[in-house]
Amino acid sequence: MSQFLQVLLSGLSTGAIYALAAIGFTLVWQAAQTVNFAQGEFVMLPAFFVLIGLHWLHLPLWLSLLFGLAAALLVLGVLFKKIVVEPMLPNGGMPLIIATMALSILLKEGVKQFYGAEAQPFPSLFGQTTMNWDGAIVSVQDVMNLVVALAVVAGLTFFLNRTRTGRCMQACAQNPGVAQILGVDIKRMTLYTFLINAALAALASFLISPIYLAKFSNGETLGLVAFIAAIVGGFNQIRGALAGGLLIGVLDNLTATYVTTEYRAALPLVLLIIIILWRPQGLLGVDEGRKV
Amino acid sequence: MLEVKDVHGGYGKITILNGVSFSIPRASITTVIGPNGAGKSTVFKAIFGLLNIHSGEIRLDGKAVTRFSPRQMIEAGVSYVPQGRNVIPQLSVWHNLELGGVTASDQAKVKARIEEVMVQFPMLRERQRQKAVSLSGGQQKQLEIARALILDPKLLLIDEPSIGLSPNLVQEVFLTLRRLRDKGVTVLMVEQNAKAALAMSDYGLVLELGQTRLHDRAAALLADPRVGRLFLGGAIEDEPAGAGAGAPS
Repeated sequence: MSQFLQVLLSGLSTGAIYALAAIGFTLVWQAAQTVNFAQGEFVMLPAFFVLIGLHWLHLPLWLSLLFGLAAALLVLGVLFKKIVVEPMLPNGGMPLIIATMALSILLKEGVKQFYGAEAQPFPSLFGQTTMNWDGAIVSVQDVMNLVVALAVVAGLTFFLNRTRTGRCMQACAQNPGVAQILGVDIKRMTLYTFLINAALAALASFLISPIYLAKFSNGETLGLVAFIAAIVGGFNQIRGALAGGLLIGVLDNLTATYVTTEYRAALPLVLLIIIILWRPQGLLGVDEGRKV
Repeated sequence: MLEVKDVHGGYGKITILNGVSFSIPRASITTVIGPNGAGKSTVFKAIFGLLNIHSGEIRLDGKAVTRFSPRQMIEAGVSYVPQGRNVIPQLSVWHNLELGGVTASDQAKVKARIEEVMVQFPMLRERQRQKAVSLSGGQQKQLEIARALILDPKLLLIDEPSIGLSPNLVQEVFLTLRRLRDKGVTVLMVEQNAKAALAMSDYGLVLELGQTRLHDRAAALLADPRVGRLFLGGAIEDEPAGAGAGAPS
């Protein structure tokens, strides 16, 4: 039982981090009707900004994290929107999707050339201590990852539903034509969406890199798992992406512990196939009546 | 109060309006009629800044507003209710109304206006916490009209308000529009249900091929045999060919 709790908690912890990236998928989907295939690299990159702050600029950790967040907002938020999304979007969704694929290769190879191909140790934000919780050995890092990620999701949901700006963003996502005739500043709301996505990716990066180490190729798995989490949960719903992320994290850890580690990587894909066959709109998704 | 002078325009390089001209007085209801593809909805988009205007001029209370953005038009006192479904489906009725005042700097005033508007539409007050998507088609249309009134517009552009509504609700919408006119609001409306709309309007405007064909008092248009033929699928320029003008439909 205590082992089960341990496995469950660490599954929830990584799952919550996947959920952060998966929520970014759904936000960008709603704002730009596109799938960002560079999302995994968006989670890989901010860790390297922090490492640059730590090792090249010799900043303390907290300042390096701030530097990493600011750089992520600039590069993955503002520049991504201005340089990639805005020029491509008028040509339709498909060219933009291809462009994000190219961007993912560019980011991956760029980090490899610029920083190196070796996996880099990344400082843990919450230390390596464990606590004994009713017989179960629980890592403080796992608990804190889960708490931080859930708090951010709760904060984001609050912002989108309870503030006027958040509701304007929803209006742009749900019916941009109407948002325009009501005078909503669509460009600004779209920018906010991209900034939020960049911030979520940066946070996911800071939480997952102490576990997986910072490596140029981390985005490959992270992007795929987050994408699957978003689809499994329902692509157009934040709570769907959250559920999908947690589900994949927990199932992944449970299978690895109790069944086999060999098929670990295949599990999210099997889950994806089952969910798509059973509920094409995702666990919590609503039918959009729109085709990709 | 609204003057449209020789406006040419369209989407990209496609021209739809070929010289539309008309002017409408304050506190009046004008219905725009015409066959499909005549450019009725396009005129509204041109006025509201959603169209490329190639040439011509649009004036509101004497002030040139020709290439204003939708936001500038809202600030100038114009509200637009397009054809079809125009609610934000996953937001509540109250929050949809709130979005009608999104451009206002004084949000306390918007809240007060929402209360006032809900007095006119009691159905919306009862359902203010429901998601807009849960309303029926007619209720959604009422929500859209109510939302367009939040900023107290002086000109209301309303495109096909009767589509999808039961005859009772159409009468209700028309009554609402008349009440607004009596309060000094100018209403410009496109309506498929031309006879009923003209019957409650002050003026009528007939568009054909992106040009103004007729512009007169609504009663005069209703009595005009050319307009009668138009309703039956003919064209204004058709010469009456004996007794067979306009096949019964």
